[in-house]
Amino acid sequence: MTSRSLTARRGVIVLFLIVVIGMGVSMARLLYMSVIDKRNYREKAENQQLSVDSTAANRGKIYDSNMNVLAQSASVWKVCVDPSRVTDDSVEKDSGKLVQGNKNLVVNGLSTILGIDAAETKASIESRADKKYLKIKDGVEVNERNKLLEYIEENNLSGVIFMEESTKRYYPNSELASTLIGFIGSDGNGLSGVEYYYDEVLTGTRGRIITAKDAKNNKLPNASTQTVSSVSGNNLVLALDQQIQTILQDALKTAYEETNAGNVYGIVMETKTGAVLAVANIPDFDPNSYKEVLYPSLVEYFKKYGKESEKANPVQAAQNTQWQNKSFSSLYFPGSVYKVFLVAGALEEGVITPETSYNCTGTIQAAGRTVKDYYTTGHGVETPETLLVNSCNCFSVFVGMKMGVDLYYKYFDAFGFTEKTGVDSQGDLNPKAGIAYHDPAISFSTSDLISSSFGQSISVTPLQIITAVSAIGNGGKLMRPYVVQKQTDENGNTVVETQPEVRRQVVSAETAAKVASYMSKVVKNGTGKNAYVPGYRVAGKTGTSEKTDRTDDAYIASFAGFAPYDDPDISVVVIIDDPQGDNYSGGIIAAPVAGEIFEKVLKYRGVTPVYDDDEISAMTGETPNVVGSAIAGVEKTLKDSGYTVRVIGSGSSVVSQMPESGKSIPANGVIALYTDSETPAEKVKVPDFTGLSVSEVRRVAEVNGLNVKISGSSDGSSGVTAYKQDKEKDTEVELGSIITVYCRNTSDVHD
Amino acid sequence: MSLIARAKKYINDKGGLWSKGGVDPLLVGLLAIIIVVGVVMLYSATYVYASSSEEYGNDPAYFFKRQISGIVFGGLCMLVIIMTNYKIYEDVAAVVGTFASFVFLVWALFLEKHNGTQRHISLGFIQIQPSDIAKFAVILTLALILDKGHKYVVSKKPLQSRFATTVNRCFKHPVLNQSLPVIMLCGALIIAYAGLVVAGSHLSGMILISTISVAMLYFGEIRGKWFAFGLVAVIIGVIVVLNTDVLKGYMQNRIVAWRNKDFEPLDGRWQINQSLYAIASGGLLGKGFGNSTLKHNYVPEPQNDMIFAIVVEELGFILSSLLILVFALIVWRCIVIGINCPDRYGAMVAMGVAVQFGIQTVLNIWVVTDFIPNTGIGLPFFSYGRTAMVMNMIEMGFVLSISRNSRIKKRI
Repeated sequence: MTSRSLTARRGVIVLFLIVVIGMGVSMARLLYMSVIDKRNYREKAENQQLSVDSTAANRGKIYDSNMNVLAQSASVWKVCVDPSRVTDDSVEKDSGKLVQGNKNLVVNGLSTILGIDAAETKASIESRADKKYLKIKDGVEVNERNKLLEYIEENNLSGVIFMEESTKRYYPNSELASTLIGFIGSDGNGLSGVEYYYDEVLTGTRGRIITAKDAKNNKLPNASTQTVSSVSGNNLVLALDQQIQTILQDALKTAYEETNAGNVYGIVMETKTGAVLAVANIPDFDPNSYKEVLYPSLVEYFKKYGKESEKANPVQAAQNTQWQNKSFSSLYFPGSVYKVFLVAGALEEGVITPETSYNCTGTIQAAGRTVKDYYTTGHGVETPETLLVNSCNCFSVFVGMKMGVDLYYKYFDAFGFTEKTGVDSQGDLNPKAGIAYHDPAISFSTSDLISSSFGQSISVTPLQIITAVSAIGNGGKLMRPYVVQKQTDENGNTVVETQPEVRRQVVSAETAAKVASYMSKVVKNGTGKNAYVPGYRVAGKTGTSEKTDRTDDAYIASFAGFAPYDDPDISVVVIIDDPQGDNYSGGIIAAPVAGEIFEKVLKYRGVTPVYDDDEISAMTGETPNVVGSAIAGVEKTLKDSGYTVRVIGSGSSVVSQMPESGKSIPANGVIALYTDSETPAEKVKVPDFTGLSVSEVRRVAEVNGLNVKISGSSDGSSGVTAYKQDKEKDTEVELGSIITVYCRNTSDVHD
Repeated sequence: MSLIARAKKYINDKGGLWSKGGVDPLLVGLLAIIIVVGVVMLYSATYVYASSSEEYGNDPAYFFKRQISGIVFGGLCMLVIIMTNYKIYEDVAAVVGTFASFVFLVWALFLEKHNGTQRHISLGFIQIQPSDIAKFAVILTLALILDKGHKYVVSKKPLQSRFATTVNRCFKHPVLNQSLPVIMLCGALIIAYAGLVVAGSHLSGMILISTISVAMLYFGEIRGKWFAFGLVAVIIGVIVVLNTDVLKGYMQNRIVAWRNKDFEPLDGRWQINQSLYAIASGGLLGKGFGNSTLKHNYVPEPQNDMIFAIVVEELGFILSSLLILVFALIVWRCIVIGINCPDRYGAMVAMGVAVQFGIQTVLNIWVVTDFIPNTGIGLPFFSYGRTAMVMNMIEMGFVLSISRNSRIKKRI
């Protein structure tokens, strides 16, 4: 063969093809990929190698104003098993030895420590035998986790059983203020309430650990690690007071049960600052298990009255409802409560004066329409004060017509009903013009003006109402309501503190003071008398309105007010949405609830009661301390003071007394004196007081050897009857015990 | 004549049992470089993968040790072949090789298929890749046929049959000439090999065997017009492959993954992306020997096709280019040895080996750099595989044996 032969020539051609084209292209391509176009792929390579592990930041706590914890987070662990590393017992091939598998160890350990079913655990491990990951239990707390860690260590199960840390949110007070505080979802983000609104503040900043990892997520040899530590979220200190919240919540819950209402809402606000001291909505929920419907009655309610979609899925509708802070977000017709603002605006504008008189005949003709009052016989000659005291619709329509659409709207707007309140929480509703209320710029007819004058056809939220009512008590200054008092960092240092914020002066201080005094008369003499608390000079207004979203007879009963009227400390609004039964008037069912709240909260806040002459004369004395005194002298002294004395025992001096000293009992109350310590305490059965008048209550109590404390309306007029007592009928109590009987006026408090 | 006497006569006819003349030192040197660098880089590329995998006994040297054993065994075979006169293998090797490779290929076909790509058969202690043997068998067999039948291949005399005479009468030159039976024999053999290989889901093996066969026919002085038909067939084949789904699922995916650089399934584009990441991370100078990041389980099966990507990552573009140059020099040297071989058989074997070696290298690097779709062709002397290693060394042994007989002016 020669180099000139065909084979040789063809060999050269092929050599050329392979080396020049094949290898040449290879090198060119390699140059392109490794040097020229390297950036793109190199970055991608680095990105996939850099593993960023984010470390959770501690979520801030939520406190009430006395630093009681309302919400806090703690670590919990998810326990998992790597089923592929769980082994059965097996026989070794060569030696025939039995090799113990770890399956029993795993299953027994998990079931005893975590308290789960052993057979089930075994089955689920076996069903995923070839997988690397099986979740056994979520939310395992630190004690169980430590036990499990020890067990893993002892039995050499590291990697077979492993745990992943996460955090769980705890709400130690369960339902307390749950609708305000809200809850967080499984991803740790706030889903409702303050948890949602302040999510960013509470969350903090996640930390990062950046490491170069191999494809199996192991740290590469010689790789450096960069750590950015996490920053804990800030804590929130709410203006809310756990004690006041409890008072409000208990009162509303009782009202909910007594009235069989659809919902009951209430807010307690510091009148002069706008600080929200308590907010409650019944039905509410437990944020520790927020999906659980706490009130089965709510599900029933949706089955009965819900929209079609809600009827189809009443449980879901109930969940959605129980999570809502309806005190902030629900719209309703304020009814007669609105007359407060009507009168305030009219006085401010000089449309009426305190002396303006009006003769109420029970009906009024306006714009070709006849408006009837609740009292069809008419209230007779009235002044603006009696307009409120009687809750007179006719006079209201008269004032409204006299003001006209523009002036009416001016004050509707000024009292904050056309805007958000600016509260720092979820659910601050932005009312829509033309839908929630009449706007002259859209449409505001005379007919609208008539119904608006007594609070129908205009929608407001409970929070708007309490803020506006507080403006009356606060010299005409409308405040921005707020929930969070301050934010503190993880060391407790204050980061941000909320300062009370005046939104505007709605009416002059003089006008406000005048209206406030009218409102105090409403409670003293008028439709609000069931909210009366001796010594605390409650000012308020009742309201009863038709429900907007229902065609049948459904009502909303409400009361809004503040106390003491001339220098108010707190404002309270109570709304009973869709009460069942004949008593649906705000004066009958909402006012006593508000009265109870005023009494307890003002006492708790240490507001000194100032009694007027009537109240002083109705006051009852305090029991003296007679323990140790000779029986003969004491019995006479007490009897002379007007008490009924019962001596029990055969001793010569008093060993113990019932009631103890310093208790407030009626002037002719019962005092039991024990002269020896052997005789057992004498018991009596509590009689049924409900339905009795105040004087009957007192007489029955005396006959039974009991003392009564009348709560609520106690003016002795014929309409006042007892409706509740703190000790059930037939309960055995000691002779001389004090029974609180709640009375209310059900006849002349209709608004 | 007794069997021994026959054998003696056979050996004498071939020119004796032992080879005379010197071995080409340049090729020996180039091969030494490539074998040593190859096995060392295999160790570097696989020790993380092997040590982190229970399948390989967590032994970092798993692949290294086995590859060494392949080199040792292959080296022994190589030595024997270098010492002996390659011509004595001419008839025997072709028959044995063809027979053995057909047996293995059919055997592999019957084996239970795994991932649609099982290509090896297990002989208990060792696994055999039949296509690796087939490649060389094709070279040997075609070299034998084309050498023995050379006078027919180049003959323009018409074929002596009634049918052929009738057909030839219609043309100016005899179309059905004496080269036809030889070409048909080669064609049948090639189709049988390629068919068996592709039936075993080994597309890349089919491509290699076809290419090598075409090159062998070309070296065998078959007239150029035949290759025009072949070219048309290849073009049609490529069009079909690119536009239809005649291919099996995994092959189809590889083509889609090549055409669509954002192809999502992890197994689709993952491997080639990791390869490109590795190459880009290497850059001009590389990260240094042993410092690859992508071998930390990012590049799947780093012992196989993608090993060159890790070589580039560690050694950089410059050194890797030098390696490509060494590969090119080996091809060049084999061809030179072939050209200078006094007999046609030796020339064709040497040049066939050059083609196989060159094509495999080129296709591997093109795949690793994402120039063509992933074919699954290993890099000679680098990728792990003892059958391939032993066969590569046997082939190079042939070339070196041929070089002893070659009339190269020893001027380099």
